[in-house]
Amino acid sequence: MARTIGVRLVGAVGVLFALLTIVFLLRVAVPADPVKARLGAGTSQTVVERERHRLGLDKPLMAQYVDYLAGAVHGDLGQALHTRRTVGADLADFLPATVELAVVAGFLAGAGGLLLGVVGATSRRAGSALRLLFVAGASAPTFLVGLLLIYVFYLRLGWLPATGRSSIRGAPGGPTGLLLVDGLVAGRLDVVGDALTHLVLPAMCLALAPAAAIGRVLRSSLIDTLGADFVRTARAKGLHPWHVLWRHAFRNALSAPLTMTGLQAGLLLAGVVVVESVFAWPGIGLYTVQSIQTADFSAVAGVTLVLGAAYVVINLMVDLAQAAADPRIRTA
Amino acid sequence: MTIGRLSMQHRRIVTGVLATASLLTAACGSGTSTSGGTTAPGSDVLHLAFYSDMSTPDPDVFYDIDGLEVTLYAYDNLIRYKPDSKEYEGDLATKWAMSSDGLTYTFTLHPGVVFADGTPCDSKAVAASFDRRSKVNSAPAYMLQDVDHYETPDATTFIVKLKKPVSAFLDYMASSWGPRAISPTALAAHAGSDVGQTWLATHSEGTGPFTLTSFDRGRRYTMTRNDHYFGHKPFFREVDIDIIPDFSTQRQKLDKGDLDAILHAFPVSELASEKGNSGVVEHDFASYLMPMVYFNPSKPLVSSAATRRAMIGAFALPDVVTQVYGRLGSLAGSVYPTGLLPASAAPVKYVDATSDPALPKSGTTLDFAYVADQSGVQRRAAELIAQKAARAGITLTIREAQPAQTYDYIKDLAHAPDLLLGTNTPDAAHPDTWARILWGTGGGLNFFGYSNTGVDAALDKGLRETDSSAATADYGQAGSLMIADGAVYPFANIKDWMVMRSDLQNVAHVPNYAWSLDLDRLSR
Repeated sequence: MARTIGVRLVGAVGVLFALLTIVFLLRVAVPADPVKARLGAGTSQTVVERERHRLGLDKPLMAQYVDYLAGAVHGDLGQALHTRRTVGADLADFLPATVELAVVAGFLAGAGGLLLGVVGATSRRAGSALRLLFVAGASAPTFLVGLLLIYVFYLRLGWLPATGRSSIRGAPGGPTGLLLVDGLVAGRLDVVGDALTHLVLPAMCLALAPAAAIGRVLRSSLIDTLGADFVRTARAKGLHPWHVLWRHAFRNALSAPLTMTGLQAGLLLAGVVVVESVFAWPGIGLYTVQSIQTADFSAVAGVTLVLGAAYVVINLMVDLAQAAADPRIRTA
Repeated sequence: MTIGRLSMQHRRIVTGVLATASLLTAACGSGTSTSGGTTAPGSDVLHLAFYSDMSTPDPDVFYDIDGLEVTLYAYDNLIRYKPDSKEYEGDLATKWAMSSDGLTYTFTLHPGVVFADGTPCDSKAVAASFDRRSKVNSAPAYMLQDVDHYETPDATTFIVKLKKPVSAFLDYMASSWGPRAISPTALAAHAGSDVGQTWLATHSEGTGPFTLTSFDRGRRYTMTRNDHYFGHKPFFREVDIDIIPDFSTQRQKLDKGDLDAILHAFPVSELASEKGNSGVVEHDFASYLMPMVYFNPSKPLVSSAATRRAMIGAFALPDVVTQVYGRLGSLAGSVYPTGLLPASAAPVKYVDATSDPALPKSGTTLDFAYVADQSGVQRRAAELIAQKAARAGITLTIREAQPAQTYDYIKDLAHAPDLLLGTNTPDAAHPDTWARILWGTGGGLNFFGYSNTGVDAALDKGLRETDSSAATADYGQAGSLMIADGAVYPFANIKDWMVMRSDLQNVAHVPNYAWSLDLDRLSR
């Protein structure tokens, strides 16, 4: 197991290095002048040049690349042009909201996938109805699903808020930046409840497509496993059908859905850009949109690096979960 | 100032799907009225939204449009423009005068004005604020570049001595990005190593009717009524500004009553659909916003002035203006926005012509970029222009450009587009803040590097005039020379339109302060 983790970690460093290089090359290749765009049309050339010098953009390309890599290694991701702060400070500000949203959406995706997979494998009618619902939701563009959810649950029914993370002034801002956790730590159940109501719509929107994908794979994997000899034997022993399903079939059917979960994590992280824009969710998705509008490549690179790292870590966790679920993988 | 944001190409799909959802929810009998709103009647809290974060609320650095409400109403200029006008009215100053040589401006300040922190705003404080702008030396500092020094003979007299006459100086003072008074006490306490820029990135220290009491980046800005304000007390106790990047989300919040106004980028094509909603109303105001076509003179196919002029004729711009902007736009009679100069000063005529011999030969293909905007109106204009050009056998290949890309064109004009469509507004109600930046050599919005020494000389002469009619003639000449070269064609005067809750009263707007409501006068 330790060797598996070690190999994966080395691979992760390689992936992050490649990401950094690609983003740097993108910055060089894309024809845009973010400094002038940021400073504005009336800015004198002297001021523009001074700013380029301050940001090190007047150095030779290789020197910029070396500076960039050295900075990244030391946790310095550079200066965001559109916020005039360090990218690190921006990420510290925006990342907790995304983490909270992604974790809740991840749980919803897992729960939805589980429901879809298990019901689909055990009940044809209910499974078909559920699958239709999930697939319809997953097939529609994310922004459209988001707007539809806002329209129905906020505008028409008035049940849930449409935008933001909280309606409560003076909600605790630390120690984690995760409102659910900070609310609990501060003993503010009103904050927790309010944060949950704000999370429902964006998390649902984000979870829909991964849930459908995970559910589909789990369903077919379960159907295959339920037809296996060892399951037939378990049934023949007179075990309760639910016992057979959960204790015998489910664990053996987990490998493929877990792989899919890892893949869907990437989709989920990519989806935050659209979902956060639609729901005005103050996370790194919204930050990315604003950064792209101003060709702020340092900021985009910072977000890419964080999302890339998250993707690598999630897949490592999936690998470990697979190994835990199926001992054959551990020894392979 | 260039206008541009990410486009939203999904609006029609959204409208269709929401309409279907509306029918479904209505059929379920679970619908609630969309026009009633949730803001309590007479509420003294105003809810607004910006599409994106401000870079900073520091008035000596801020140089965008989304965010003007904050800098305009947390701080005061010496003078400002009257609503729907380019006439000045006093802000911190009660009187102002220019010396006959145009080198001295004397402002008499309101006595007894204090900053939100309670410290006095006298002539020394104003001088210190102006000094800070020059020290920060960010984009808006150009407005003070010809200042020699300031004099403060007494607490209410502030004198500006210039090195040379600047005909735009009073307009700089009234500009949406003009110099503001900032508390020297607060600046001294929070100077840091950057003249207080870090502090003012999240706080305000002005004399305006509101104080920025929270600046939560990416989420919400809150402005609270400034009890020390020297003017009349604003109706609103608090202004909450949420960051909502998506227009459709803003619209649903407006319909629900959780948002009081959509300040810009409401699609023209969807204004009609809001008319059925009794809770909201559309307001349109005079503005200096003008869409324009730029030609890239470095590209062989449009390198001739005669060709460029002929192509403008082939674009049938009068039809384009009518179809794209409807009642919210009119064909430009001058290359300057209406009101900046008399139309006769730099007239421009559009003759529909598809058989001009100067046109590129039939079958020519040109690269036509448009600057992305939130409402999609520029894409629509670009498509229509391309349709019109096709009548003359010219194919315009359309592509979208982000604002940051347009600033890069100058570095490689040979690979830049042949034509560009964008919408701009001047920094102030003065022709110099329009012409110099658009078609002066090295101008910030002169994307294709147009240069004419005659134009530059006329602009420089205009800026140094002390007689307004002489300056008008100079700027008129600059415009006429540029049009003869066919470099940039501002082709329409468009309005600034907003959709807001119908209970908002005393809605006022200044043409120079684009996308902004006058929060000082607004009430419910």
